[in-house]
Amino acid sequence: MTSVTSRVRLVLAVMLAGAGVALADETCNSPYISKLIKGQEDFVYVWTLGVEGLGDGSDKLVTVDVNPKSKTYGKVVHTVSTGTRAEAHHMGFTDDRRQIWAGGLAENRIWVFDIATDPAKPKLVRTIADLGDRSGYLGPHTYYAMPGRMQVQALSNVKDKGGTTGIALYNNKGDFLASYAMPVDNGGDGYGYDLAVNPKKNVLLTSSFTGYANYMRPLGELVKDAEAMKKFGNTMVVWDLKAMKPQQVLAVPGAPLEIRWSLAPQDNWAITATALTSKLWLVKQEGGRWVAKEVGTIGDPAKIPLPVDISITRDGKGLWVNTFMDGKTHYFDLTDPEHPRQTYEKATGKQVNMISQSWDGTRVYITSSLLQNWDKGGDDNEQFLRGFAWDGRELTQKFEVDFTKEKLGRAHHMKLGSKALRST
Amino acid sequence: MRRAARTLAAALAFAGPAGAHGIASPLPALDYVPPAPGTYALHRIMRAPEGRVVGLDGRTQPLSRYTRGAITLLGFIYTTCVDPEGCPLAYRVFDALRAAIVADHRLDGKVRFVTLSFDPARDTPGAMRAYAGSRADEHPGGLRWYFLTTRSARELMPLVEGFGQDVRVVIDRTGGAPRRELSHVLKVFLIDRAGDVREIYTSTFLHPQVVLNDIETLLADRP
Repeated sequence: MTSVTSRVRLVLAVMLAGAGVALADETCNSPYISKLIKGQEDFVYVWTLGVEGLGDGSDKLVTVDVNPKSKTYGKVVHTVSTGTRAEAHHMGFTDDRRQIWAGGLAENRIWVFDIATDPAKPKLVRTIADLGDRSGYLGPHTYYAMPGRMQVQALSNVKDKGGTTGIALYNNKGDFLASYAMPVDNGGDGYGYDLAVNPKKNVLLTSSFTGYANYMRPLGELVKDAEAMKKFGNTMVVWDLKAMKPQQVLAVPGAPLEIRWSLAPQDNWAITATALTSKLWLVKQEGGRWVAKEVGTIGDPAKIPLPVDISITRDGKGLWVNTFMDGKTHYFDLTDPEHPRQTYEKATGKQVNMISQSWDGTRVYITSSLLQNWDKGGDDNEQFLRGFAWDGRELTQKFEVDFTKEKLGRAHHMKLGSKALRST
Repeated sequence: MRRAARTLAAALAFAGPAGAHGIASPLPALDYVPPAPGTYALHRIMRAPEGRVVGLDGRTQPLSRYTRGAITLLGFIYTTCVDPEGCPLAYRVFDALRAAIVADHRLDGKVRFVTLSFDPARDTPGAMRAYAGSRADEHPGGLRWYFLTTRSARELMPLVEGFGQDVRVVIDRTGGAPRRELSHVLKVFLIDRAGDVREIYTSTFLHPQVVLNDIETLLADRP
């Protein structure tokens, strides 16, 4: 059996702890993803926007060694270029965590990388290019693993490049299966952004942002266009996951973005942050109905700090929030999710966007880029991956990869990788 | 199908001692009302893979013999699995479903179960026979439950790969002597009469009521 298993993907691992079944990922991924990294991650994969004139100018998947015991700790160990510049944005694992699907907001292409054969050297194995033709949607954003399938939440549509959009469903081989329009009735505004599942409740929760016509415009120009600024999402939608039918539309004004369900087994609530109004919103069930409640404020909304990514701790008791404009990283105590309380903040860059944490919460990773035309200019246009240690009181920077100096591009979304998940 | 639903409710109410392992634990409660049969779509996710399997009689057959012509509920197991969220859970769900399906004669001959081992080294036809007990017996007009294994990892792997059933060999050292385990996330596959996989259940939503609704949805599905 040894020779066969070396040929295929039976992975020999030595478990010091009991054999367990993973029900969730490092605090923010699909509950259907089969493998958790509960110990030290080896790599951070950074989906990076290409910059004209910098390196090869293309979007690329950058692999950074983040294991402190490694000789190349804090260094770039591999890059895979797509050969194009398509506003690289988000990515997600397939349910078996063997592949990463990554997309660009400017095109309807999805790049599929094999991270199982050699986690240190992801390999581009497939490009999916039929999203627009099959669904009519544009700007694939969120990649959310379902068993044997991938849900792809888009931001826009090919017809008018506005914000009316939907969700596409593919199988893991990249075959298109179905599409689901974001509701435009019963209070729905048709916008999409993130999606996240609570399998215990058979609920899919979606949020809402804006379309291609807005997110591809320079931010300074956009904010002066009053009509364009009206074209942002103000809703979240509760779906019957099994039937993929909208059940309730919740009013959440100000472009609710990332959605995080609490991973605590007894919890059935999710939290999100609104980009334009700088608020935390809680979504929970009351009397059989789902409700959305404004429960907190992030920074000074009058200064438009622009909260972007959030990251929840595995016990649902804490939440990291990055605010792009002031470059701050905030920590909220979520012990009472109805009343989040900020207990810490630190300027971690001149502009900060994505934030990810290890399963145990002691390591925090931050990147800098929001969108090509929304990033700051001049000296404020820092582009980096920074790794921090978190001891519950202080974020301490441990390493930095300067993505401009390394001629890589704009550092955006992150996913964690591990050699222990390698197939041999 | 109302009789099947009533029987299922009774089976769930008394779901206690279950499976060859004799584990006495109730099935997890369903914390939502699933959509009614026929009100939703089950997409053709992929073709069920083909390969060679071995029955309890020791004869080798193509897997398609067990995945075509009837609605098939197929789950991978290994007989020494002790993870309560893994193989034993699938066994308990299959048991509850069997009671409901057998009670409804309109389902006669329309549904089969397949339990396929991914441990050919240990799960010989004899081991599978012991694991199956009376479940493998043929009941007139009832539901057939096939217990299958493979000759080797070489014959198993195309099936594991084809279904996307991830599995890792791990050594559990928590109980003293090292013990070989097959770490996996439970997946159960619902396959239609044409051999297309229409649903993939994990432990987060593998519940008899959900599966029964899906079977009814497929039965109402005209190709």
